[in-house]
Amino acid sequence: MEQELRPDKSGYMLMNKPGYPRVSSWPHLIWLIFLMMLFITIVLWAVSFLAYAPLEEMAEWAKTPNPAKAPWYFIGLQELLVYFDPWIAGVMLPNQILIGLILIPYVDITPSEQGHYRWSNRRFAVAYFTFGIAFWATLIFVGQLLRGPSWQIYWPIIDYDISGHTWTREGVPLKQGGLKLASMSTGTGMALIIGFFTIGMILPFMVTKLFPKSNVVKALDKYLKELGYIKYFVVQSHVLMMGATVMKIILRLGFNIKYIIETPWFKI
Amino acid sequence: MAEHHTQKKTPAQKTFDLLSALLTDNPVYKSIFRTGYPSTLLKRMAVMRSSFYMHLFPTKVGEHGLKLRYSWCMGGITFFLFLLLSLTGILLMFYYVPEEHRAFHDMKDLRFMVPFGVVLRNMHRWAAHGMVLAVMLHMMRVFYTGSYKAPRQFNWVVGVLLLLFTLLLSFTGYLLPWDQLGFWAVTVGTNMASATPLLGYEGPFHELLGVQIDNDIRFAIIGGTRIGPNALVRAYVWHCVGIPLVATLLMVFHFWRIRKDGFSGPL
Repeated sequence: MEQELRPDKSGYMLMNKPGYPRVSSWPHLIWLIFLMMLFITIVLWAVSFLAYAPLEEMAEWAKTPNPAKAPWYFIGLQELLVYFDPWIAGVMLPNQILIGLILIPYVDITPSEQGHYRWSNRRFAVAYFTFGIAFWATLIFVGQLLRGPSWQIYWPIIDYDISGHTWTREGVPLKQGGLKLASMSTGTGMALIIGFFTIGMILPFMVTKLFPKSNVVKALDKYLKELGYIKYFVVQSHVLMMGATVMKIILRLGFNIKYIIETPWFKI
Repeated sequence: MAEHHTQKKTPAQKTFDLLSALLTDNPVYKSIFRTGYPSTLLKRMAVMRSSFYMHLFPTKVGEHGLKLRYSWCMGGITFFLFLLLSLTGILLMFYYVPEEHRAFHDMKDLRFMVPFGVVLRNMHRWAAHGMVLAVMLHMMRVFYTGSYKAPRQFNWVVGVLLLLFTLLLSFTGYLLPWDQLGFWAVTVGTNMASATPLLGYEGPFHELLGVQIDNDIRFAIIGGTRIGPNALVRAYVWHCVGIPLVATLLMVFHFWRIRKDGFSGPL
């Protein structure tokens, strides 16, 4: 079945050609939509009768909860505040994520691979996107479930009840974050960032020159040639930005580095 | 189903046919639905074209795109949750006033005084979380099937904007109960805006434009230097009027483009 549905050489959409298996929308599609609406309504009703929407005490400016958490879909950005200043974690990174998502269709060079879950011709795109989604989901998981007072790590069930509001067992004090953090010298930091992005930009081309015989590298070479320099620059700068975000997290967690670059105006 | 009737009908079928004919084969039914009951292929095509709601959909669809494991219905579920949210949201507006000293007590009234008020609010809350989740899963489905590719590139862009507006809808709604949970979540969220380069009072290079706490981008968003009554009214108006209006326009475009560009599966 899948074989028959592959695109023809002209890249013309097979579904618009005569003979493509089609059925009338009434009743096949309408029936599916009706059942789906019924199903969602029943599930929503059941959940709404069983689980209360949360409502805490009345808002009070003078009583700051510790921790104060953003809604779950934004908590990934809040979690990034551990590793970056707010102008990166809360402004630059979310904007860059949106811009990156918008650019996806314009840098994709496998136009025929659509309409099925088949990834053999778009392994890199699928791997990169999946990594991004997994990264985002991990940040949400850590921020939502593992962060307690003063944004320290608290283990669910061990340190607190998932449904409860208290963060410690009786007689156990709140966790303290007494970590000593250092910053890199400006020279080292500048060299590191410029080096990372420069090497990252030319690394794929170097690999194709160094190991021209390997099959994987041949595929990479073909991909780079088809991509062209402009699209390559757009794609690779986003790959490197995501890589740099991961690197900064590793530097902070593994080596207690707070800032790579410190200037009077901004810190990275 | 009704196209070929070679077998002999049971009495139950005969009664059903008679009753459905009584219901559908009369001038009133035809005045509302234009075509008769869609029992033949021709009428089934006609009903899709001549009904206002049905004409959103094509008259025929590929078997491939109908499969549940292909689309998981995620786009449809997102839209249906949006409709449910509009319905429950309008009902909630009857009982809720976005005023600093009243909003929280309206929440309490919904829980303890309004008949079925608690179910109404629960439905709105859980449907909102569901919509955020469904729109993310819809985006993943569209990516993994490569459905954003030509000629659908621009519809993907509109989809990303709709994802953003869904998040903003949920975020503005978070403040409205005026409880500690929403108040501090929105405080944390909007504080991020103050770090915007140039435009936020804590952001890099803000001095260049003379930006301070009382004229920066966060001040414009929340109408004050901290979350207060102005922020509550702004969240309410964006949540109930502004963003739904923009999102609806984008959705209309999103669906229209799907029809024009064709369903993705398969090329």
